[in-house]
Amino acid sequence: MTRQTKALRLDDVRKVHGAGPTAVTALDGITLALPPGTFTAVMGPSGSGKSTLLQCAAGLDRPTGGSVVVDGVELAGHDEAARTRLRRQRIGFVFQQFNLLPTLTVLQNVLLPLRLAGEKADPGHAVAVLERVGLAGRLGHRPAELSGGQQQRVAIARALVTRPSVIFADEPTGALDTRSARDVLNLLAESVRDHGQTVVMVTHDPVAAAYADSVLFLADGRIVGHLPEPTADAVAERMAGLGETAAQRRILEGV
Amino acid sequence: MSALALSSLRGRAGGFLASFLAMFLGATILMAFGSLFDTSGGPGVDAVSREMLNTLAAVVGGWGLILVTFAVTSTLTLSVRQRAGEMALLRNIGATPAQINRLIVTEALVLAVVAVVLAVAPAVLAGRVLVEWLAGSGQIGGSVHPHFGGFAVHLGVLVTVAAAVVSAALAARRVTRPSAAGAALDAATGGTAPGWRRAAAAGLFLFLGADLAVVTATVMRGKSDFEPMATAGPASIWFSAGLALLAPSLLRLVATRLVAPLERFGGAAGHLAGLNLTGRSDRLAPAVMPVILFTGIATGTLYMQSTDAAANALAGVTPTADHHAAQTTNMAVIGMILVFTAIMVVNTLAATMIHRRGEFGRQRLIGATPRQILCMVAGESAVLTATGVIFGTVASLVTVIPFSIARTGSAIPGGGPAPYLAVVAVAAAIGVATSLTAARRTLRTPAAEAAAA
Repeated sequence: MTRQTKALRLDDVRKVHGAGPTAVTALDGITLALPPGTFTAVMGPSGSGKSTLLQCAAGLDRPTGGSVVVDGVELAGHDEAARTRLRRQRIGFVFQQFNLLPTLTVLQNVLLPLRLAGEKADPGHAVAVLERVGLAGRLGHRPAELSGGQQQRVAIARALVTRPSVIFADEPTGALDTRSARDVLNLLAESVRDHGQTVVMVTHDPVAAAYADSVLFLADGRIVGHLPEPTADAVAERMAGLGETAAQRRILEGV
Repeated sequence: MSALALSSLRGRAGGFLASFLAMFLGATILMAFGSLFDTSGGPGVDAVSREMLNTLAAVVGGWGLILVTFAVTSTLTLSVRQRAGEMALLRNIGATPAQINRLIVTEALVLAVVAVVLAVAPAVLAGRVLVEWLAGSGQIGGSVHPHFGGFAVHLGVLVTVAAAVVSAALAARRVTRPSAAGAALDAATGGTAPGWRRAAAAGLFLFLGADLAVVTATVMRGKSDFEPMATAGPASIWFSAGLALLAPSLLRLVATRLVAPLERFGGAAGHLAGLNLTGRSDRLAPAVMPVILFTGIATGTLYMQSTDAAANALAGVTPTADHHAAQTTNMAVIGMILVFTAIMVVNTLAATMIHRRGEFGRQRLIGATPRQILCMVAGESAVLTATGVIFGTVASLVTVIPFSIARTGSAIPGGGPAPYLAVVAVAAAIGVATSLTAARRTLRTPAAEAAAA
């Protein structure tokens, strides 16, 4: 495959928080390439750098070094305003805490990314996306009037409305019950299968990771494993191994 | 609960800063002017000096009482409301409404006592400076000695502590009234219903203001300068206070009319500003109230002064000691109003912006650029300030026009447009500058971190 056909390409991405002796390396040279139309789960123990990886890849955070190319466009090195403009054209983001605006209705929340991009907001398209996530009857409700699962589906509709090529999801089922979690994961899988979008999801739940086409394992800011065609059991086994290795290393390093 | 009160005072000192400042400055001003009353009771004070000192103490002290109560209520209500989520949490883990009430009142009481104690020294000093200045400018006899006594201390302690306790109790009632689950929902949506008591009080204040205006324009017509001042001055104060109480409704009124133009010319930022202004008018209205008071009272008082001067010049009257006294009192009142309303505006707007950093963070995550956020904030604060200035101007006319009719027979006041423009400029500068500065500060936090706040 050529370079241009990758939906997401990270090249030696590093992220260091702080400076001097107290500096913490969150990402230690991450290199990866994901083809379009794939569903990838990123897993790892707490503090392995999963969320930082996602935020750097999505242009929410600025890597200390390396390059991030989304849909053929370099993200690293721009200021917040420029990254924001690139982000809203190509990237959708789903958060663990939904991050809906409380004063806006469901429909207004979904229309907001289009309005912010200065496009003529097309309510028809937004309604269609809300129908797709099963919320056509809730257009005028405010987030506080919805269940957690419904709020997360609104957030997914908001991420899908700009027709992004890559959707990032940071623990999207972390605050949900099993049933709502399944709905959310099916929606993400469906956008890959039916709409050819690329999904990158951080999770700590092996069942959620099993919805993906492949799983990347992260430990101490480095990619330490890859599991194609994952099952929940296989993922859980690898994670248990990773957790032990990380714990052993911490003991050896005296952390 | 009192241990929790003390630890929350220590833990979030910043949140109480404005309430403390209002109490401290209020106590200082009250005690400084109150000491004029103590001074006038001292030995060797002649009758003219005594009257001057007593009048100044009564007028400025009376004003201070209203302003301190208003400022303390405004700042305390806000700090309590900002912690609605924390209060809802306390109730969910089993705190009774009475316990919450005690927590909030204890916090306020501690603040008030500390503020009064710290205010004594600056008040003694300010009282001395006042007496020296009055003596130096010949408004009181040179032999008058400043005296800081029981009246000053009682005034400072009683007013500050009473204002703090009463406003804290009222603010607490607001967060403890709904059920625990309702309180959590309210904290999330920011919803509160306007009470009929508020509307009734507003109606009474507006009636009093209008009544004084009519009296000024009819009964006081052609009377000497000080009599119309006594009725014209309070007219705009009552009217401003009445309109300030109606601020949430007034803001909604103005905002709904501005939603369309904001959206047309402001793009997505204007759209969000419009949604916030209409959807959260109750939360943003506290910023409008002090702007109404400031514009109404400052404009009214300044034009009363300038019309009086113009009328005297026309009649060929040379200014007397009484004129100077009236001017001194008026200026002291305006200065005090400016200080307190500025505290209220800055506090309300800054606290609102800091409170909204999570919202700004979420908007940035969804795709708003920092510039779009600042444009939204600028649009919002422009509408807030404009609403305050418009209704403050309406309130000031209740003083300005009747006084001008009474003194000169014409409805057009003396002094030209300059004083008014100055008042508007100060109001606009404080409002917009505070919002933008506070919003800009919140934008320094990375979006993902701010959204989690």
